[in-house]
Amino acid sequence: MDAISQDEVIQILKMVEESSFDELCLEIGDFKLILKKHGGSEPVQRPFQTGEVFAHHEVAQEQPSVPMDVRQTEPERMASVSERDRQEMEPIGEGQEEGYLAIRSPMLGTFYRAPKPGAPPFVEVGRWVSADDSVCIIEVMKLFNTVKANVRGRIAKICAENGQMVEYQQTLFLVEEVDGGGETAKEEIAS
Amino acid sequence: MKGISRVLVANRGEIAVRIIRTCRELGLESVVTVSETDKNSLPARLADRAVCIGPSSPMDSYLKVDAIITAALGTGSNAIHPGYGFLAEQPKLAEACATHGLIFVGPKADDLRKMGDKLYARKIAGGVGVSIIPGSELVHNPEEAADAAKRVGFPILLKAAAGGGGKGMKIVARAEDLSPVFDEASGEALSAFGDDRIYVEHYIANARHIEVQIIGDRFGNIIHLFERDCSLQRRYQKMVEEAPSPAVSPELREEICEAAVRIGKKIGYENAGTVEFLLDQDHGRFYFLEMNTRIQVEHPVTEMISGIDLVKEQFRVADGDSFSVSQEEVRLTGHAIECRINAESPGAGFSPCPGYITEWKSPTGEDVRVDSHCYSGYFVSPYYDSLLAKLITRGTDRREAIDLMQYALANFVVSGIDTTIPFHQFIMKHTDYLDGNVSTNWIENRLVKEYEKNGGNPFR
Repeated sequence: MDAISQDEVIQILKMVEESSFDELCLEIGDFKLILKKHGGSEPVQRPFQTGEVFAHHEVAQEQPSVPMDVRQTEPERMASVSERDRQEMEPIGEGQEEGYLAIRSPMLGTFYRAPKPGAPPFVEVGRWVSADDSVCIIEVMKLFNTVKANVRGRIAKICAENGQMVEYQQTLFLVEEVDGGGETAKEEIAS
Repeated sequence: MKGISRVLVANRGEIAVRIIRTCRELGLESVVTVSETDKNSLPARLADRAVCIGPSSPMDSYLKVDAIITAALGTGSNAIHPGYGFLAEQPKLAEACATHGLIFVGPKADDLRKMGDKLYARKIAGGVGVSIIPGSELVHNPEEAADAAKRVGFPILLKAAAGGGGKGMKIVARAEDLSPVFDEASGEALSAFGDDRIYVEHYIANARHIEVQIIGDRFGNIIHLFERDCSLQRRYQKMVEEAPSPAVSPELREEICEAAVRIGKKIGYENAGTVEFLLDQDHGRFYFLEMNTRIQVEHPVTEMISGIDLVKEQFRVADGDSFSVSQEEVRLTGHAIECRINAESPGAGFSPCPGYITEWKSPTGEDVRVDSHCYSGYFVSPYYDSLLAKLITRGTDRREAIDLMQYALANFVVSGIDTTIPFHQFIMKHTDYLDGNVSTNWIENRLVKEYEKNGGNPFR
């Protein structure tokens, strides 16, 4: 479990703070360290929601300028997880989707926002889409599947991170319905 | 563990629960793949993480190699345990693991391919001096089958070369029946395995199904963990298994276990496997049947009499280690029996019975083991097989194990759906079973009829 000492964590924190990077994810054996500067704007996909412990708040207090999140997988210590941590561990809630239409992943695979590396993304937040517009690519073992919006509206939120694995039926985008939007959109809301 | 740290369990149901349990004991993280139906299943809740790989149909989820590999890589898993069924014996999953630097917790792809071909497996066994049932090479038409049948003698079995699970397997009693049955068998084989190759074997009517558990490591060592008797079958599906076999003498045990090890050594087999034999009860001879290249449903009876956790051993050898025990340290202690509790109506021709389980209370006690993924409120999906639980009891001898099984069955409460529990109670009280006077066709030829006639009461 002692893959890394507290001093080393502080050293890493300093390095990240002085660097131009916003985010660091480090895994050594069971040990996992995720750092995000400025509160981390996007909700991170959180692997290992059960049995996780946020164990090093004392470290965080010493470096209050960098919000951090040090985790060790250790099911036995579940009991020590505080209520605040539990809330943090909640995945992107269904509640956030209220009033929005969801574009869900038709399959498990890797989520890509652009048709190829370096190309501009298919969509950004605020972009209007109609049912036939491509919104992303899901790659499964070198097979690239283009995902259509299937709804009409304005992209309100991008819920998955580029290059990350998404599950079958995971929400990828939230779409704000347009007044007088497409029939597909209306049906979705009705159901 | 040296290399394995996070395991993707590519299966569902009780075997997923079983594998996750051992992962925990070994301090390994577990990720389980789930279909949409199984998102809130017991394995999904027990694993460190569950990944939804597709819709309910197995073709679109549990049988999708690319989705499983993507899930393993995407979750940072470095090993895949396939369980049994689904992709466990498909070389393509083992191969894909090798391509992507993942450890496949099972045999080498090459072993899967070789032993998956029943004719090749027969050659291997014959080559190391193990008797094989008199039979033929491939037969391409009913005429060739008739020639082979004349040679080996009726009744015969038509078997699929790619076979397993009784699919494409047909008994032919007389020469005049051969032609239509041949077409039926090859058609069934084609639809089940995509391979219509058929061969002929002599059919042994009064036989017991005896199988030997072996395990091999990377260094060419093979040990056996004694035999299991799986003679109680219905339509080639095992219903009750026990270890040791009441029909096997100590001398025969030594001989049959040694034969299994010889076959394993010949192919340099790695990981857990089972060598199946047919014991001809009229002549006291045993014949090689086939080899199963996976952990088997009935592995707990072996664990109960040997005290060895087979899934743990699977992880050890897949990780490049050797076994935790030597052959000399493997001891057979007591007697164990397993009943497969299925969601089927024994009173209605064993028709499948999916639906909501309104009440689930499984028996407990020392020497009572229940491997299951069910609970009160669980919905038994029509998409998957009907196995609900494996009930295993152990005693110092066979009689004690049977007594405990009777008690455990009587204290197993499942409401909402029909199960095979009453049929197992019928078996456990039947004098033929108590006396060890059974064969592989005893359930179908005798017991099913008696059960229907007596309305489930053996003493009527």
